[in-house]
Amino acid sequence: MKKHFIALFFTLGVLALAGNAHAQAIVIANPGVKAADVSKVDLKDVFTGSATSLKDGSQVTPVLLKTGSAHDEFLSAYIGKNDTAFRAGWRSLVFSGQAAMPKSLDSEAAVVEYVAHNAGAIGYIGKATPHEGVKVLAVR
Amino acid sequence: MNRLLVGALALALGTLSAKAQSLDDLNIQIHGYAAQGFLYTTHNNIFNAESSDGSPAWTEAVLNVSSVPTPKLRVAVQARYFLLGDSGNAIVLDWAAADYKFNDRLGVRFGKVKTPWGLFNETQDIDPSYIWALLPQSVYDVTTRNADLAHYGAVIYGTFKLSPSVGKLDYRVWGGEEVIPTDDGQFADLNAAGNGPLNPFTYVTLGGALHWRTPIAGLMIGASDGHANQGSVALVGGSESFTAWNNVSYFTKYEKDKWLLAGEWNRQASPGTLITTGSPSSSVSSDPRAWYLMASYKITGKLTAGAYDSQAVDHDQSLGPDRYTKDWTVSGRYDFSQFIYLKAEEHFIEGTSLSFKNANNAVLLPNSNLTALRIGVSF
Repeated sequence: MKKHFIALFFTLGVLALAGNAHAQAIVIANPGVKAADVSKVDLKDVFTGSATSLKDGSQVTPVLLKTGSAHDEFLSAYIGKNDTAFRAGWRSLVFSGQAAMPKSLDSEAAVVEYVAHNAGAIGYIGKATPHEGVKVLAVR
Repeated sequence: MNRLLVGALALALGTLSAKAQSLDDLNIQIHGYAAQGFLYTTHNNIFNAESSDGSPAWTEAVLNVSSVPTPKLRVAVQARYFLLGDSGNAIVLDWAAADYKFNDRLGVRFGKVKTPWGLFNETQDIDPSYIWALLPQSVYDVTTRNADLAHYGAVIYGTFKLSPSVGKLDYRVWGGEEVIPTDDGQFADLNAAGNGPLNPFTYVTLGGALHWRTPIAGLMIGASDGHANQGSVALVGGSESFTAWNNVSYFTKYEKDKWLLAGEWNRQASPGTLITTGSPSSSVSSDPRAWYLMASYKITGKLTAGAYDSQAVDHDQSLGPDRYTKDWTVSGRYDFSQFIYLKAEEHFIEGTSLSFKNANNAVLLPNSNLTALRIGVSF
């Protein structure tokens, strides 16, 4: 019985760690963006269409994931809305003439590729996703 | 002026198109939404519709095309089909604008642009953007909103980041010309009597708005003031003259977790005198003051519920149900997906100062309930 409990705890521990590894979203930017970090407030402003620059003056353009765990984690951790409410907010800006919808890409690899090759681009991916050619912004 | 601005916009679009290497360079996007509603009132008819029999005459469809040729420049145009009761039933240019944002502190958009007064005016006709089937009619009267939605001219806007302990300040300044079409809801009485306007009613408008995003996360406090010059419109057999007026609003919004709380006080501050010449001549003064308080709560990811109290009183009217409207509303919205939603709403209305007069020549009862259903799709 004791062995079974140890095996159960070990399995649950591995699953929890694996879950966290997938759930943690990181913020990436084009290497031309000067900032090394970004505040949660600035990040939310940029990804909800309220701002187009970071505190140091870097001009940025957000790029989104269409779906996935990194997308859900990012919205939950930094925007405070689910996907439906988040996209409804953007549509509201689009239909009132205040903004254009950010690009939405199918995969985290596509986000890395886009951010790496477009000046000012800022996006998010899962922590485990390879991200050569972009810089990671620390979120304060 | 309208032709000049739209012409400038067309020229800008043409120039951009000529310079573009490909459609992908222009980053062209197409979005839209459509909504179909149903109205039922226990007494009286509302919104120029035969609502006491149940009316589906509440349809809206919008198509938006935008282009972002450079990160700082955006060009967009939006067309709308709108039917409400006997009003509308036509495709119109909602707005068409070029927007150049120098930085977060300064941007300008010009063409036919949304007029940014009050808490909801920029989004009051964008059904997918809020839980309510009808925004509080005391401030955002759907039958007369064409006069408020957009103007030909410009909006200058920006945000000043104050210190973290003070928050941020958004500003908007606008100016231009309002154009109210001859079939607008506010001319419904005149049109029904055969005395409708011969031409669209136009007047100059100027205004400004401040939105203070306070250091308390989610709390915004704002104010706006729009001024309209006096004007007149030729009618069949006469004319109608309006004195200058101001449209003043104070508002606040608080969003926290699953809650949204908001409120607004509005006054169309002016002598508000409307003089109709011809047969019969009349002079009507109005001083409407309105407010609402609303709250909504996201019960699940797909289901949101809310309620508001909306009241309007015309201080220049004599005592009686014609002087006021009090509207208690409970509402629910279900999002089947990020594209499709359903709204259901019940209004408990006292008074008849808003929205009833246009459709009824009969004696109005002082109290009425309104059931509003709406299903919509957006992309």
